[in-house]
Amino acid sequence: MIYLDCAATSLQKPAQVSRAMLRAIHTMASPGRGGHPASMRAAETAFQCRSEIADLFHVGEPERVIFTINATHGLNIAICNMVSPGDRVVVSGYEHNSVMRALHLRGANIDVAASPLFDKEAAIHIFRRKLPGAKAAVVCHVSNVFGYILPVDEIAKLCEAEGVPLLIDASQSAGCLPIDFAALRADFVAMPGHTGLLGPQGTGVLLCRNVPRPVFAGGTGSESMDIEMPQYLPDRLEAGTHNIPGIAGLLEGVRWVKKKTEPSILAHERTLLYDLADRLRGVDGVEMFLSPDKEVQTGVLSFRVRGMDCETLASRLAEKQVAVRAGYHCAPIAHRTAGTIEGGTVRVSISPFNTQADIASAAERIKISMKKA
Amino acid sequence: MLHYLIMCRSLTYAQRAVRALAHVGISAFVMKAPAGASSGGCAYCVRISENHLTDALRSLKNAGLQPGRIFIQSDDGLYREVSSVE
Repeated sequence: MIYLDCAATSLQKPAQVSRAMLRAIHTMASPGRGGHPASMRAAETAFQCRSEIADLFHVGEPERVIFTINATHGLNIAICNMVSPGDRVVVSGYEHNSVMRALHLRGANIDVAASPLFDKEAAIHIFRRKLPGAKAAVVCHVSNVFGYILPVDEIAKLCEAEGVPLLIDASQSAGCLPIDFAALRADFVAMPGHTGLLGPQGTGVLLCRNVPRPVFAGGTGSESMDIEMPQYLPDRLEAGTHNIPGIAGLLEGVRWVKKKTEPSILAHERTLLYDLADRLRGVDGVEMFLSPDKEVQTGVLSFRVRGMDCETLASRLAEKQVAVRAGYHCAPIAHRTAGTIEGGTVRVSISPFNTQADIASAAERIKISMKKA
Repeated sequence: MLHYLIMCRSLTYAQRAVRALAHVGISAFVMKAPAGASSGGCAYCVRISENHLTDALRSLKNAGLQPGRIFIQSDDGLYREVSSVE
């Protein structure tokens, strides 16, 4: 199978990820729950993973790296801390439902700063206009539908100038774009462990600038006489038993990314993406949503075919052993902003493990699948 | 043989302390603190040999890490507080 759905979750991973998970299952217990070797091995693995992530994202102290079960978990913790019912919260026009539904559940007054696809200046302009008086801002670093890299550095500066707390959803950027948490001065950055960081499903990370209120409570293996959650990170936000096999796998994924480096991963994915675009360009009926400026595009491409339901095309591709995603990609607001709300798009997302041969073959299978049955 | 136990506010903090001490060549490891050494319940500490306390405290301070209470423990497991560093 040619797997082109890395934006949802990475399927191919470095071999050491599964090896580390298996080793963890057999040799590690729970960190912070005992002084015996199985517990201390787990603690050491968790600490190494925190430290590698802190180093990758310039967090400073590993305590500020919180393990979550996915990006949505981290986004919800952050939103519960930043937003009270009725607060006006500015979001980009490209947010995922993990942000939109969490804000809605919280009773936020969601103010969408919609701007045209791939137009950074327009995005900056509308954030500059909408941020004054807002209680919080939430911005995805990269659109999961279109691979559009939003100008988060500039938006973060605007937020700081206006005193508006900022949450960045790095679900599609972690592992392929450098993220400098210290320089960004965002209040939170949330990300999954299973997409660009190449860890297993069930892992995620929340980076915290301050010490938030806990959203869940329970055992932490520390301050156990106190009915309150500990006042310090990471314990304050990590109630219950950790997913140590997942964290062990994530550690190896992060190490692989650090060794490979984000710029080289992004360059590889971009090269393949624009190669695919070249192969599909001019094919009758194909409409691609791709930036001519590669600097604002990651390895994600949305397209649609005139007269063909995108789910039909994706199903045909699945039959031909090409895995893509079709529909709204849990981000209807992105489709409204980009003008693709009628039927959605087919999304191709490239991973570091895809090859030129994958792309050539996928392009041919797309062309064949487009033909009327 | 005697060794010192430096209480830490969390397991992660203790792990950072061990790493900072290793960086300056001081051997240390994380262990669960004796139950009576922590008034708040379960806790972790850093264990170092009796010869390294002064250097260790200086190194932790240089690394921006704040040690908690300090205990001296003998091989028979008995321990007593020797200092409180706030």
